[in-house]
Amino acid sequence: MSVTINTKINGQPVSASAEASTSLLEFLRDTLEMKGSKLCCNTGECGACTVIYNGKPINSCVTMAADANGAEITTIEGLADGDKLHPVQQAFIDTGAVQCGYCTPGYIMSVKALLDRTTKPTAEDIEEAVSGNICRCTGYAKIVDAIHLAAQKLQLR
Amino acid sequence: MEYFEPKTVSEALSVLAKHGAEAKVIAGGTDVMVDIKFKEEPGGLVNIKKIPGLSGITENGAGLRIGALTTIREIETSALVREKLPVLWEAAHQFASLQVRDTATIGGNICRASPSGETLAPLLVLEAAGKCAFSDGEKTLPFTSFFQGPGKSSAGANGLLTEIDIPYPAAGSKGVYLKHAVRGAMDIAMVGVAVMLTPDAGKNNVQDVRIGLGAVAPTPIRAPKTEALLRGKPLTAALIKEAGALAATESSPISDQRSSAENRRWIVEALTRRGLQQTWKAATGKEIG
Repeated sequence: MSVTINTKINGQPVSASAEASTSLLEFLRDTLEMKGSKLCCNTGECGACTVIYNGKPINSCVTMAADANGAEITTIEGLADGDKLHPVQQAFIDTGAVQCGYCTPGYIMSVKALLDRTTKPTAEDIEEAVSGNICRCTGYAKIVDAIHLAAQKLQLR
Repeated sequence: MEYFEPKTVSEALSVLAKHGAEAKVIAGGTDVMVDIKFKEEPGGLVNIKKIPGLSGITENGAGLRIGALTTIREIETSALVREKLPVLWEAAHQFASLQVRDTATIGGNICRASPSGETLAPLLVLEAAGKCAFSDGEKTLPFTSFFQGPGKSSAGANGLLTEIDIPYPAAGSKGVYLKHAVRGAMDIAMVGVAVMLTPDAGKNNVQDVRIGLGAVAPTPIRAPKTEALLRGKPLTAALIKEAGALAATESSPISDQRSSAENRRWIVEALTRRGLQQTWKAATGKEIG
């Protein structure tokens, strides 16, 4: 059965239909052709599909597309301002926190949600914020560096 | 696949009366969506998130009422829960990841009836009960007899859990939830042990103790023989040792990819001992002599 979804993605109203069994991630990637959010484990364990849903980071792979109805969603595509990257994106580049890059959009959304809550995160806040994101390349140290750098940049804004 | 978005509990019950056999109730979706992708697509989905009034945490006499649609993150960030029911807070805090906690609901964690459901051992030692709506009326079902097997609960295919009522523990009680897993986050418990201990007025003896075991039987269970062994006695190192060993015999774990059954019994023993030591010290200020 098809469900009509009226939602707001990256500030833009979107109306489209999807099967009831469709995940929000499939809706973004396959229906709307927004390929920034990544499909990886598809079980809510790796965080590569993280988007911000009504201000909260969630795994879009285990969220029903139908639940996007009436919600406000921010995806990785919504962060940059034209050619100017968001401070979190720039910080990941500046610290070398990206290797293969597959986990990066999910990390950036988790970190964006963290720094929307506070620009002075504690070590515990940082650990909690990215505990649902898995990176198999970096060993995490540079990701933590990127979070500190992004926090500093956002504090100066 | 059929899809329903009932707007009231009674509308949900009529959908379930008609389609309960093949349709699944979905709330946060963190378990059901995985089933859809990797197991079998159900004949229908009954999305209950549009029913108003099923979420939120309120004080209700001498306890808390938590709506079934309340997310684990709402529980984790509730000052009331942290102050009044720290044993439940500890489970919410150790639950999966932030992303999952933002979506998963306590009602879903309960109705999933997984032996390892993170909130279940704490709810057992808190002697919480679920309010379930059925077509012939509402029933209050204590969680100590709610779980029937993996995925099976007294809510059945046609009932709807609407709220969780949790009485405050007796004055002077201390509780703890200890989870053993390989990773700190995003891991299912190999074993989870919840302990709620109440010392007597002189803080000399165990007046009451409740022990909940997760992931070591077809359902989360209490350890009644161990509790009986401890009641009315001063908590000594020898008694704690005996209690740990007895709790291990009350579990009936399986071997799976996370742990062998033998290892799980060892962990039940260790965590039971640790839980008793910690709650006794917190409740009496005394180290075990």
